[in-house]
Amino acid sequence: MTALLETRGVWQRFGGLVANSDVSISVGRGEIVGLIGPNGAGKSTLFNLIAGVLPPTQGTIWFDGVDVTRMPAAERCVRGVGRTFQVVKSFETMTVIDNVIVGALVRTTVMREARRKAHEVLEFTGLAGRADVLASDLVPAEKRRLEVARALATEPKLLLLDEVLTGLTPTEAQTGVDLVRKVRETGVTVLMVEHVMEIVMPLVDRAIVLDLGKVLVEGKPTDVVRDPKVISAYLGDRHAQGA
Amino acid sequence: MDKNFATRRRRDLFVAAALAVIAALAPLFVKDVYVQNILILTLMYAALSQSWNILSGYCGQISLGHALYFGLGAYTTALLFMKFGVLPWFGMLAGGLLSALIAMGLGYLCFRLRGHYFVIATIVIAEITLLLFHNWDWAGAALGIDIPVRGDSWLKFQFTRSKLPYFYFALVLACVAWFVTWWLEDSKWGFWWRAVKDNPEAAESLGVVVFNSKMGAAAVSAFLVAVGGSFYAQFVSYIDPESVMGFQFSLLMALPAVLGGIGTLWGPVLGAAILIPLTELTRSFIGGSGRGVDLIVYGTLIILISLALPRGLVSLFPSRKGAAR
Repeated sequence: MTALLETRGVWQRFGGLVANSDVSISVGRGEIVGLIGPNGAGKSTLFNLIAGVLPPTQGTIWFDGVDVTRMPAAERCVRGVGRTFQVVKSFETMTVIDNVIVGALVRTTVMREARRKAHEVLEFTGLAGRADVLASDLVPAEKRRLEVARALATEPKLLLLDEVLTGLTPTEAQTGVDLVRKVRETGVTVLMVEHVMEIVMPLVDRAIVLDLGKVLVEGKPTDVVRDPKVISAYLGDRHAQGA
Repeated sequence: MDKNFATRRRRDLFVAAALAVIAALAPLFVKDVYVQNILILTLMYAALSQSWNILSGYCGQISLGHALYFGLGAYTTALLFMKFGVLPWFGMLAGGLLSALIAMGLGYLCFRLRGHYFVIATIVIAEITLLLFHNWDWAGAALGIDIPVRGDSWLKFQFTRSKLPYFYFALVLACVAWFVTWWLEDSKWGFWWRAVKDNPEAAESLGVVVFNSKMGAAAVSAFLVAVGGSFYAQFVSYIDPESVMGFQFSLLMALPAVLGGIGTLWGPVLGAAILIPLTELTRSFIGGSGRGVDLIVYGTLIILISLALPRGLVSLFPSRKGAAR
C-alpha cells in the first residue's frame, strides 16, 4: 500500500537561505509521525509546503496517490488535508460552533448537516460546553483545541498539527496527547511538528528529525532519542560523545 | 442549542415581517408629502446599506466606491428607457446584472489588495467613472438626463401625482435586501464570508476558496445596490453624474451599517432609521444658511458611536449568540 503522504526531493529556498534541502519523507496510513528538530531546522517550512501555503522551489509532494505540489491549500483540504496553525488563527468574531461549521461546510452545503457535524466534533474534542462562546473569549488551551476541532470537521485523512502541545501546562498537554490518540483511533493519520520531546516521543509511532533543512534521522522514537547525531544537533557535539 | 438557534432565526423573520406590515400601513397616517419623502429615502438607504453590508460587513471588504453601482443602475435604466424605450423594469435588471459583472471584473483586479489599499482602490475607481460620465456626451455628460414623463403607470414605473407607489417599491426593496441577507447569513456563503473577514489564511486551510467568496459577495452586493440606483432614477426622474454617482452616496451606504452594527443583520436597518431622518431634518431646519451642518451632526454621531459602541447600536440589544456580530 502506498504512503498517504510523500515528499520527493523537496527543496525550498528563500533567496540565499535554504530552508529545506532534498527532503524526502513519507507518512503511512494510520500513523502518528512526529516531525522534530531544533529551532530553524526547517520544520515549519516543510509543514507549510505540505499544507499548501506555498509551492516548493523544487521537488514534488504526493498525497493519497495524487501530485499536489501546486495545489492550493483549499483544494488540499477538500482532498483530505486538515491543519492547525502554530500561531492560533481562530475566527475571533464568530462563536466556537460557527468556527467549526466553517470546516464542516467542506463536506456538505446543508446547514443542518454541517451544524450536526460541528456539534459532534465539539463533543469529541471536549469543547461542547463552550459552543456558544465567542472564539475571542476562549483561553489559549481551548483555542488550540478549537483549531483541532475545526480541522477535524473537514473530515481529513491527514491531520497536520503545528505545535499544538507547545506552551501548555502539563495537564493541558496531557489532555492534548489523549485527544491526538483519540483522533488516530478514528482512522486519521497524524503528522505533528513539535519540539517538546518528552511529550511527543511517547505519543508518536515514528519520528523524523530535521536539522539544517535536511532529514537527519528517522525511526522509532526510542532509537531516535539515543542517536548521537540527534543529541549533537540538539545539545552540541560535546554531549553526543557520552551517548 | 440548535433549538435556540432556530428560534432566533424565526424570531428575526417574525420581527421583520411585523416591521414591514407597520411600515406598509404608515401612509394611512402620514399624509404629508415631505415626511413621505423622508420615509422613502430611509427605506432606500436601508436597502442600500443592507446590500453594502454583504460585501463590506460580512465579507469584510470595505468598499467606499459603491456609488459606482448605484450610478450604473440609475444610468442603465434611464438610458435604456430614453434611447431605446426599454421599460424601467428591464432596465433595473440590466443595470443590476451589469453592475454585478463590473463588480466581479473590478474584484478580479482589486481583491489582491488588502485593507486600506482595497478601500482606496474602490474610491478611485468610483471617482474615475464619475469623471467619465461627466464627459460622456451620449449619456448626457455633465447636464445629465431628464427622464421623459409618459404618464402615471406601474408599467413605466412613473408616478407624478403620488409618492406612494415609490414608497411601496422602496419598502419591497428594503425587505428583499434584508431577506437576502437573512437567508445568506445561515448558508455556506455567509459562513465563508465571515471566515474570510476574520482570517483568510485559516479560511483557506478549511477549504474556503477566498477569492470566489469575495467575488460572490461583490456580485450580490453590487446587483442590489444597482437596483436601488434604478429606483432612485425613476423616483427623482432627473439624473446627472454628481447626483447619482457622487462620493456622498458611497458614504451614505456605509454609514447606516457602521452606525447600526457592521456585519450584522439588523445594523443597516437600525442605522438607516436613525441616520436618514436625522440628515433630512437637520438639512431642512438648520442646513439652509451654512451648508454642512448635517454633516457635522453625522460626524459627531459616528465619533460617539465608535467611542462608546464600536460594534454599533445593535450591541445594545440582548446578545444574539450563534449569529454574526
